[in-house]
Amino acid sequence: MTGRVRYALGTWTGGAWEVLRSTVGASGKFAYGWLTESKHALYGLAVGRVLLGVTGLGLLLTNFSTMYYFAGSGSAWNGEGVEPISSFPKIWIFSLFRAAAFNDFAFTALYIALAALAVLVIVGFKSRIVIPVYFVGWVSFIELNDAVGDQGDNMYRIVLLTMIFADTSARWSVDAWIRANRPDSRLNFDVIRKLVPEWASATVNNLALVSIACHVCFVYASGALFKAGGEPWRTGYAIYSPLKTLRFGVFPELSDLVLASAPLVAAICWSTIILQMVFPVALLNRFSRIIALVGITGFHIGIAVLMGLPWFSMAMIAIDTIFIRDVTWQAIGELFRRGVQAGRDSSPELRKASSARPLPAVHGAAAPFAKKPREDAVKGARV
Amino acid sequence: MKETTEQMSRGRGRRTRWIKPSVVGLLCAFTAWHILATFLWIAPPSAIRQVVPGNLLSTYMLPMFGQSWSVFAPVPINGDHKLEVRATLGTGKSARTTEWIDATRAEFSMLQRHLFPPRAAIMASQTATEVKQSWEKLSEEQKKVAALGFYSNSDWESRLKAGLGIRPNLTKTSAARYAKADHVATAYATQVAYAMWGDEVSAVQFRVTRQNVVPFKDRDVPGVEPPAPQIVPTGWRGTIEEPGQSRSQFRETFRRAVWESGQ
Repeated sequence: MTGRVRYALGTWTGGAWEVLRSTVGASGKFAYGWLTESKHALYGLAVGRVLLGVTGLGLLLTNFSTMYYFAGSGSAWNGEGVEPISSFPKIWIFSLFRAAAFNDFAFTALYIALAALAVLVIVGFKSRIVIPVYFVGWVSFIELNDAVGDQGDNMYRIVLLTMIFADTSARWSVDAWIRANRPDSRLNFDVIRKLVPEWASATVNNLALVSIACHVCFVYASGALFKAGGEPWRTGYAIYSPLKTLRFGVFPELSDLVLASAPLVAAICWSTIILQMVFPVALLNRFSRIIALVGITGFHIGIAVLMGLPWFSMAMIAIDTIFIRDVTWQAIGELFRRGVQAGRDSSPELRKASSARPLPAVHGAAAPFAKKPREDAVKGARV
Repeated sequence: MKETTEQMSRGRGRRTRWIKPSVVGLLCAFTAWHILATFLWIAPPSAIRQVVPGNLLSTYMLPMFGQSWSVFAPVPINGDHKLEVRATLGTGKSARTTEWIDATRAEFSMLQRHLFPPRAAIMASQTATEVKQSWEKLSEEQKKVAALGFYSNSDWESRLKAGLGIRPNLTKTSAARYAKADHVATAYATQVAYAMWGDEVSAVQFRVTRQNVVPFKDRDVPGVEPPAPQIVPTGWRGTIEEPGQSRSQFRETFRRAVWESGQ
């Protein structure tokens, strides 16, 4: 009897061990393959790159007319020139703007150069070189006046740094367009491709992606925990107070409209907490992912408009685009391309122009699309 | 001979076969550490932080990965900080005092009803916030000192600091924090004064007020008044101008803002 039990137990534990070993082995193999074989979320990363560039350019343009007042020679009173609050201006690589801040000519020149770099980031021109340079310039600029910054600056800096390691211009970029249409051009070079084997750059790209994804999830989930600890959030009126201030109630009439219904106010407060808390888990399934992404984007648009924090919100939205799958972005790109095509076909003058000179593809994704029949790309659309 | 070459290349293959998994492993290990550190840094402080020895976490995270996500939490902001400025023009018998100008209201004209407000709009508001918050931490005695005037002679600031009980070797005290905020607000007030009333300015005074909004529960009470403003009483100060300051660049933006705000 005992022998039989021992035998059965032995077989069972042996079987369990075998199952465990093969499971671990299989998932390890899957993870290894996922990391090293190809680069993931290239469309999401490309859209993220574009939107982060737009965020930077937008911030620069909307602060242009008051730039000396908030960070240049008009702002020396804040003492940042003597002793910066942030530690970045004291690090030599990020000290360029500080050195030029009180020289109006140099400051303006750097400011415009930074805006030009942001444009290059948006269009995806030589991103492997441009993004690191832009990153250094951006941090140097935005940390000039720490007192008027917000958490969006931190998120922007960290994600931009991580994106240096990702292949953000593989799709929808000038880089991709050159690669596909001007292979003989002198501009068709990729430093990373030359120096690093494909598996290594794929691994780094995918790990950067994992890192950004985890980061965003932590930000939302801990935001929910911090909020849940506060009485105004728990009892559902937290958005009332800031929207009633002058500082964060930027459109008083809109604020009053949102605040008119107390049940709605409570619903917004609670759904904010719940949405932020469940965000990481909601990403796992397509259906809940759509709800989470639409919800969190709506939440950010609300912050952008009602609270006067457009660039903070846009940076967050830019980062969330990595959670949308490539097939979905491809379908969106295809719809966009067809829309442009239809517009072009319906306009006789443009048609004439396009028949005279073959127009280049609207975006850099001409090559990836060409590989697939169009219907497939649309049919396969999934978020 | 041929065999040897094959053996050699096979041997090299065996030797290089380990490079890829090792590199991938190292990259994964570093990413795992980065993600763990990010998690511990962002999450509300908990005992899990003890898994990282010493101050390794902050050494790794700062400054590059510095961030804090308790935004509008646990209790969101429920009031505005206002910074007003007035000045003494001229000296001696011809000295005269100007009216108050609301610098926050002036700057907020760039923010209110604007979809893309510039950062210039919150300079006064942020300066006032720091004055109020650092002043809260002062003792009653120190608050009395802050309310006094310090403006005659060039050593007025060291007399203010001495009055607050600040010693040069103690820079992290609440009094030192307040003195810094007072210094910055005075430098701002000086620029406001030059912008509004010209170079005749001999002394300035700033007044910081916090105005809370009507509490949520009282919002529908007929005829409800907002809570009484909390005033930070601060006395007159001498002028301060930091190196590199351009009065004209400050004046141009500030005066336009004042005009926009209807003052």
